Amino acid sequence: MAAASTSAVDPAKKMIMLTTSDNIDIKVEREVAERSILIKNLLEDLGSEGDEPIPIPNVNEAVMKKVLEWCEQHRKDPPATQDDDSDSRKKSTDIDEWDQKFMQVDQEMLFEIILAANYLDIKALLDVGCKTVANMIKGKSPDEIRKTFNIQNDFTPEEEDQIRRENEWAEDR
Amino acid sequence: MSSFKRAPVPGEHTRLHVLASLRATQIIESKPVLPAELIATILDYLAVPDLFSFARTSKRMQEMVYDDTRWIQRLKSMGCWNEAEARQRFEEAMRRKREAQRAKEAEEARSTSAGLNGSGNGISSGGGGEREISVTLFDASWEEEKQYKSLGRAARPRRSTLDRGFDAMTLSPNGSSGSGESFSLDPILTLKVLARVRSIRGLARQEYGKVYGALAPYYFDLARSRSHTDPILFRTYRDPEQQAQMLAQLKIFAKSDFSQGWNLREERLDSMIGIFENAVLREFEQGYESNDIDGRMKRYAHVLVTLNGGSAGIDTYIHNHPLMVNREKLGDPLECLRDTAPGHVSLQPSHDFFLGLATAVNEQALVIDRAFPPTVDVLLPFVDRVGEDIVSEYITTLFDEAHERGVEVYLKAVSGVFEQGLQFAHSLTPAKGSKANFPEEVFRIVTRSFEPHVDLYLQEELDFFKRKSDAEVEAWEKRLSDEEQSTESFFMANVNRQAVKRDFLTSFKKVVMMPVNVLPTISTPFGTSKSAAVPPVVNGEHLEPPTSRSGTPIPGERSASPRPQAPTSELAAKAAIMNSRLEGIRSLFSIEVALNLIHRAKSSLERAALFVKLGGQSGEESREQCENIFISLLQILGNRHIKTGFDKAVNHLSAYNPREVGDHSREGVEPLVTFLELVNVGDLIQQMVDVFYLQELVAPKLTDRDDFLSPAVKEKKRFEQMLDERVAAGLNKGIDVLMDEVEYICATTQLPMDFNPAPGPDGVVQIMDIGASHTATKVVHIVSSHTSMLVGSTDKNMLDVFNQEVGLRLFTALCKHLKRQRISVDGAVKLISDMNTYHAYITTLKNKSLTQYFSALRELSQIYLISPDHAKEIATIIADSDRYYGIFRAEEVYEFAERRADWFVVKREIEKALYGFGCVVM
Repeated sequence: MAAASTSAVDPAKKMIMLTTSDNIDIKVEREVAERSILIKNLLEDLGSEGDEPIPIPNVNEAVMKKVLEWCEQHRKDPPATQDDDSDSRKKSTDIDEWDQKFMQVDQEMLFEIILAANYLDIKALLDVGCKTVANMIKGKSPDEIRKTFNIQNDFTPEEEDQIRRENEWAEDR
Repeated sequence: MSSFKRAPVPGEHTRLHVLASLRATQIIESKPVLPAELIATILDYLAVPDLFSFARTSKRMQEMVYDDTRWIQRLKSMGCWNEAEARQRFEEAMRRKREAQRAKEAEEARSTSAGLNGSGNGISSGGGGEREISVTLFDASWEEEKQYKSLGRAARPRRSTLDRGFDAMTLSPNGSSGSGESFSLDPILTLKVLARVRSIRGLARQEYGKVYGALAPYYFDLARSRSHTDPILFRTYRDPEQQAQMLAQLKIFAKSDFSQGWNLREERLDSMIGIFENAVLREFEQGYESNDIDGRMKRYAHVLVTLNGGSAGIDTYIHNHPLMVNREKLGDPLECLRDTAPGHVSLQPSHDFFLGLATAVNEQALVIDRAFPPTVDVLLPFVDRVGEDIVSEYITTLFDEAHERGVEVYLKAVSGVFEQGLQFAHSLTPAKGSKANFPEEVFRIVTRSFEPHVDLYLQEELDFFKRKSDAEVEAWEKRLSDEEQSTESFFMANVNRQAVKRDFLTSFKKVVMMPVNVLPTISTPFGTSKSAAVPPVVNGEHLEPPTSRSGTPIPGERSASPRPQAPTSELAAKAAIMNSRLEGIRSLFSIEVALNLIHRAKSSLERAALFVKLGGQSGEESREQCENIFISLLQILGNRHIKTGFDKAVNHLSAYNPREVGDHSREGVEPLVTFLELVNVGDLIQQMVDVFYLQELVAPKLTDRDDFLSPAVKEKKRFEQMLDERVAAGLNKGIDVLMDEVEYICATTQLPMDFNPAPGPDGVVQIMDIGASHTATKVVHIVSSHTSMLVGSTDKNMLDVFNQEVGLRLFTALCKHLKRQRISVDGAVKLISDMNTYHAYITTLKNKSLTQYFSALRELSQIYLISPDHAKEIATIIADSDRYYGIFRAEEVYEFAERRADWFVVKREIEKALYGFGCVVM
């Protein structure tokens, strides 16, 4: 807090406080936190004070730290373009090396990160997460997918075969 | 609504399995459940086969994968989705559905076991033909059915024709096509698969499936292959046309590939297309070299166009065109400057150049029509290139050289060649592939090559005009001072000025309206015709000794300009006549110089005005420059020429002293006459400028006459104002001079005998002549001749003011004169007739108040007629101020009465009558 009030240096370097769902306070530089559009808008709405901790009720400490790690790495990235209706193929650029490593977490954490990114409105992180999941699905059989994602099969074998036959054209490789 | 359900039994798996361990934690946390929107996002990144693996996991997942918008998006990305078509189909389907609904209701009345089929996604299983009724439930399934039937029938018999290699590649070797969908795997059908995609709501997945089924094998194979010989595509299709078509289709198909690695795949595809294109291009070039237009050139041009619009082929075609390679054949730009008189440029070679070029291009249009399909526009890029390389180069060389030779040559060359360039643009005929705006485009191309020269040209044009005009005025001034002529006057006696001016203006208009046609003949008509017609006139006039001036120039001029071939020379002749008539003012300014300046401005303007057609910035600039030319014309003509002339004339006027002029025999006051002529000529010039302005600037829309901010309009106003001011100043002086002259005449010519004739030998006064005295006639003559000179040359108001002033001053002068005379009763007759003369003259001026003054004077003169015997009557007349319209008071009349020759005889009587009577009354 002291740092926050005394640092007249740079508003971007100012420290702010986030409170996670398990009531842990995390101190973070404002610029880093503002990778999240949600937090950015909140801070703007609250005014420049920011001395009060910002509650993030949907994200726990472990995930928050992970997310902030990503934000730290990507703090200087250009802000995401708001028009997400642009050409959809722009999304599917390859995941960069740091992100790939970053995403090497267990699946639960991966999903938590995706959910947190969605909640905190960090588009780039959400994209990376979704791409990682897509990579996990790639080349798997329906059974494997079910296992991975813990999906209950509500098809009869006939029904499932029907779908396969319908889309025979796509079977490839 | 959770899609990822919790595992039913916790801790089911051992920790040996990675995924199992993942799931184990997940279960304990019982936390991460991805909402549908996130799953949808993930699906966006999946490759098509993975999508269907995913669809098979559960009903909910299937629904998400099958979502129509997902597939519509893919079709859209390939540009194969037509929203309007989809809507139309949908409405049609709705209509059919309603009809069928009714039919179905009727059917249901009889049987209830009809509509059992049709799952939620409109998938029809089995190819049974008993579907007529069930169709009604889902229009999508109806569509699908129809298409399935037609396709199946078309495709299946041909399967045997499949290429071996291709067959091996087909990764759906599932021969049991009985219940599954059929895809057009026929290579011939595949060629057109993209064109046959239909936009049907609810069937986007199937439509995409057809495309995918047909193209994906080739696509992925291509992406994997290492060399250009590998891909099955090139083995399946042997024909270059077909190969091109397939590659073009794959290029489009690649756009719907969203999954990771697409950029690598597309890169490979592009490089493959590049290799293919180069090969085709080589063939095309060979065909081109051997001039095999209808054979190889045509074939490979079509292949290239099919592949990617054929831009590479067009480039090659244009680049290697013989026209580009040996452009020298068309002509040497410097031909135009060879063997020409200084200051002239021969436009014949450039004309030939453009003609040759136009012929070549038009021939080329025919070749293009033969070789290229009409869907591509080859001619325009070709012309573009011609404009850039050939025309630009030609004109740049020509203009640079011309500029070195001299400004005048340069100016003529630029405008002349520009005109030819425009003609060239018009003479091109569009090819079949040309778009509707071909003429405009060609025009743009041609003008673009001229654009770099426009700035310099316009600047030079203005400078040239200014310099020449200045030189002209200067030369004239110099000649004037050299000659140091005595400014003897000679004025337009007995000439109907109005008629002469009108006549002159008519021919001036005719000349102005005649276009300066730069093209067909050599150079400007003014340059030639004027130098032919005017200079002799100039010589004839100015080199002649001034003594022989009167009358001689006119016949001389007539003989000097006997060429009636053009209105120009007619105008020149008229100018000469005019000039000779106005010889009196040639020391001040010359109408001939003014005419020359206007001619010069006209030729400059017409050259510059051509460039207004350029449009855009250059057009605007040239328009401004045209205005500038006009402005400098006015400045040079107005300030340098006319203004100094007027100033000189006014100076002459103010220096005039009638007593110093020995010769009064001639009619008129010389400097005033000169000045009045000057006013006439000034007015003429102003009218000329006006005609010129309307004709050259307003008519071709170079300037807007209603735009009061336009510099040209402002300058014109200033010019007119300047002229008016000079005229007004001069007239003021002129009146002084005129009155001086009148007083001088009165003082010198009025004999004492006139109004006080000596009695004859018999004691009776002999009245020889009861007309007006010589002095009166002379005064009237001199005044009227001067005032009438102004009629028709100045503003009516100004003329009125002038007349009024002249009248009033004449009145005072006459009163003064009268008071110097001694008038007898016998002389009064003469005096009255004098006054009548004055009065008669003044009435011609049609100025009411002025007429009253002279009426009063006339009345006044009657007091001299009354014989001394009736002194009382005289007194009555003196006192009767009504008689004099209140112009004279009784005291003033009394003063006049003192001028009676017998005043001392009657004085007492009158005074008695005047004052004595009054006393009695009082």
